[in-house]
Amino acid sequence: MRTGASAAVVRIETVDAGRSALVEIEIAGSGRDQVFRNRQRVARAADLAETARCTVFTPDDLVLVKGGPQERREYLDDVAVAARPRLTATRQAVERALRQRNVLLRQAAGRSSPEVLATLDVWDAQLADAGSALTAARAELVAELEPSASAAYGRLTGADGGLDLTYRRSYEGSLADALAASRAEDLRRAITTVGPHRDDLEVASGGLDARSRLSQGRQRCVTLALRLAAHTVVGAHAGSAPVLLLDDAFSELDDVTATALLRELPTGQAILTTAGSLPRGAVPDAVVTVRDGRIVT
Amino acid sequence: MLCEVCFNIGIGARCAICNDERRDQSVLCVVEDPRDIVAVERTREFRGRYHVLGGALSPIEGVGPEQLRVRELLARLDAEEVSEVILCTNPNLEGEATAMYLARLLLPLGVRTTRIASGLPVGGDLEYADELTLGRALEGRRDVGA
Repeated sequence: MRTGASAAVVRIETVDAGRSALVEIEIAGSGRDQVFRNRQRVARAADLAETARCTVFTPDDLVLVKGGPQERREYLDDVAVAARPRLTATRQAVERALRQRNVLLRQAAGRSSPEVLATLDVWDAQLADAGSALTAARAELVAELEPSASAAYGRLTGADGGLDLTYRRSYEGSLADALAASRAEDLRRAITTVGPHRDDLEVASGGLDARSRLSQGRQRCVTLALRLAAHTVVGAHAGSAPVLLLDDAFSELDDVTATALLRELPTGQAILTTAGSLPRGAVPDAVVTVRDGRIVT
Repeated sequence: MLCEVCFNIGIGARCAICNDERRDQSVLCVVEDPRDIVAVERTREFRGRYHVLGGALSPIEGVGPEQLRVRELLARLDAEEVSEVILCTNPNLEGEATAMYLARLLLPLGVRTTRIASGLPVGGDLEYADELTLGRALEGRRDVGA
């Protein structure tokens, strides 16, 4: 958005399996952004998942490795929903049940009256139901991602040994039992201490934890490998590859890694933006130069 | 105004349904909202009577069992000859939680408690059903009569 402008509009025409769609995103200077598909307002960004599937690489991706578990859960859920759009309902049910349960715990303020316990029972059941489904889907996804992520990491780093991905649950046994077992603690702390919102995706290479033990260069390779694996898995589920968007993704990469990434990029449409020069070895079909908010060439 | 028996919207102390003696007195359909009665009535499948809860459990909106007409429901079961309660709350998270809460409350009373089925829309397509819905439909499957 240009400085001083009140809004900006991004317009995208997508064609997938012969079906075309027009997606417009109105980025508001203040207030909420709005998304339209074929001129119809889309209530949730997730509803776009099927129309505009894309894999995005940005320099900020490093948080996937260095950030908290939240970042990795979001990565897993985003990929899971892109691969199987029907999981959207499960994801939303988990978020909603968790919010309801947490509010109830706060309202209870540590008291465990029969009334509170009876209501807690039903929210536990709802959370256990949706939560187990989401956890199972995530674990399944991790198993699907691992071979591609591991292979991509090996090629990006040129080193022996790939990546080990482990979905780490915050509980053992069934979620229903875990919620029952943690109830006293949850009531005391007025927060849900176990569940899919406490799980993590652990990434390691050669037995070294990626978050704490790998160099930053290697951590970048881990994030690239995770994105590439997601791209492959989503493409396999959806039947066609998502569009690759590389937003200034090469700015933080050394030459060797940048070249390796270019080699790794799968066939399909890729759009690369950069404020500097194109990475060496890139052979674009078209180059568009934008200057002062206008397309020059 | 609200019906003094079922809390449906009506004219006078009792709604038209509660006043109708031809309605089956032994079956109660528990709904969240008077608008749900209109929806169920349109099916012409139900000849019993209703009980309007006035919402669904939702701590976020400050709604617990105390804010719903649960006590009134229990009083009716005590006073009237009811042999079946159909839990007809919405098939969303809050509606399911409410149905489960009521089921746990009613089962010890020995009254038959049923929940409306959730599943696939008539005329729909399996391929496009979301997993939760299809899962529920499988869970609630029934024998095909000979």
